[in-house]
Amino acid sequence: MESLYNVFKRRGYTRRDFLKSALLIASTIGMGPSFLPQVVKALESKPKPQVLWLSFQSCLGCTQSILNSTSIVPADVLSEYISLEYHETLMFSHRSKEAMDLQKGRYVLVLEGSLPVDGGFYCTGGGRSAEEILKSLMDGAGLILALGSCASWGGIAHAEPNPTKAVAVDEILKHKRVVKLPGCPPVGDVIVSVIASFVVTGKPPEVDGEGRPRVFYGQTIHDRCYRRPFYDAGKFVGSFEGEDAQRGYCLYRMGCKGPITRNACATVRWNGGLSFPIQSGHPCFGCSEADFWDRGFIYRPLSVVEEGFSWKEALAGALIGTALGYGTAYINKKLGGG
Amino acid sequence: MSDVAFYDFVREPFLKLALWVFFLGIAYRFFRVLFLGIPHDYAKPKGNPYYMAVKKIVIKPTMGWTFREIFARRAINFIGGFMFHIGFIGLTFLVPAHALLWREITGLPIPMMPNIVSDMLAYSAFGSLLVLTVHRALNPVLKLLTGKDEYFANLLIGLILFTGLLATKWAGSGYIWILSIHIFLADLLIIYIPFSRLSHFVYYFLSVGFMGWNAGKRGVSF
Repeated sequence: MESLYNVFKRRGYTRRDFLKSALLIASTIGMGPSFLPQVVKALESKPKPQVLWLSFQSCLGCTQSILNSTSIVPADVLSEYISLEYHETLMFSHRSKEAMDLQKGRYVLVLEGSLPVDGGFYCTGGGRSAEEILKSLMDGAGLILALGSCASWGGIAHAEPNPTKAVAVDEILKHKRVVKLPGCPPVGDVIVSVIASFVVTGKPPEVDGEGRPRVFYGQTIHDRCYRRPFYDAGKFVGSFEGEDAQRGYCLYRMGCKGPITRNACATVRWNGGLSFPIQSGHPCFGCSEADFWDRGFIYRPLSVVEEGFSWKEALAGALIGTALGYGTAYINKKLGGG
Repeated sequence: MSDVAFYDFVREPFLKLALWVFFLGIAYRFFRVLFLGIPHDYAKPKGNPYYMAVKKIVIKPTMGWTFREIFARRAINFIGGFMFHIGFIGLTFLVPAHALLWREITGLPIPMMPNIVSDMLAYSAFGSLLVLTVHRALNPVLKLLTGKDEYFANLLIGLILFTGLLATKWAGSGYIWILSIHIFLADLLIIYIPFSRLSHFVYYFLSVGFMGWNAGKRGVSF
């Protein structure tokens, strides 16, 4: 199997291009400049990763996301480097048998979409349930990636009323170490970096309590948002058409969920580092946090009561309290002989 | 339970419950006292009770503001109390996240203040609360007037101010937990207000007005 450097050379790229990619990989996985020689050596010598990609209840947006990743390595190199040995959606299901013969402990098992635990009615392939397909391939994986919010948390299929009884993959793989890359979809460059870091270090990345790589999910969007100074100054966008929006003020009032959302959007950004939702003028709706579909109120500020609590509810409460107060006072007076 | 799940709990069902308890409880206590009323007094008033009631409400906040009163006798009470109340009320209503909640509840265009102002108010409110609590514990007269209720209320408010400052300044990767704990404690405070002396902000005008009314009835000045 050839290495990343071999793919670069065969595709006609220079060594400088390769070194630039290696530097990007080293920096995105949190390694300092002093580790660059080790990273370069690993990417020169280690064979490209063997990837088994299983798609369950998903929209394939995560597949699209990795295909659109262009910041770390050029697109044509990437599509060749990520050696897709088996893709449940793209290949015949009998290939999974061949995939099982891959070298155990070496391949990367990428899981996209949530799993239905309905007894094998939804999301079947080749007569087997999604759970059976997953369990047949999990033992030989050196790295298991739950890609996207569906695989990580259950996603849209898991949202109320959850007709397929969808669950996140780690609920099936209870005794396996699953690295989660939530997002709808996750940032493509993050996926590439995590796979590349596995090639370089030979082990999964350091994760937080929820199984997310700390280097990408350690901080909230709010912490790294370039609009944060406007939040601190109390300057907020009041409407998408207003002058405040044109000035690029903070989108908290428009329902931005950045303060409770951990992702790399604000640092790595999308489309080759071009932009991310907030930079494009839209509030973050927290797609990388669990059950964000059920949170529901995309365009309402985080601090308000989700289902609403207006003056009507306040007045209703006060009227009930008044009636109870009057009743109690009346009884007290009667009992007291007043 | 993850931090975001806890955040969703304290921000949605628990906050909603707290607001219902608050509005219902405050109205219950206020109108219960009001409807109980006072025994009818057949004596003819010596002054003008209603005028004196209004006068008392209007001038009460400035009545103690003499140099001697403030600096010679009750400096801690006046200065500390003023700083705490200004800070706490300002933070409760004018911090952007809080203001948006009150806008939703009241429908009024409540202004929002920048972080630097809220930081100053938070430090002054937190510092003055500490001083007032120590003063309360050491002053022989205040000690007799103080019960568990006051200490619990001070502790709760102190924790809310502290976690609020922590969340905005030093929370780091624990931001969502600290913020959720801040909201949880605020929910507890909202629930606790109707059951405690913290509800004095509702009775303030009633009790001060009643004092003025009594003075007017007896024909004395204050």
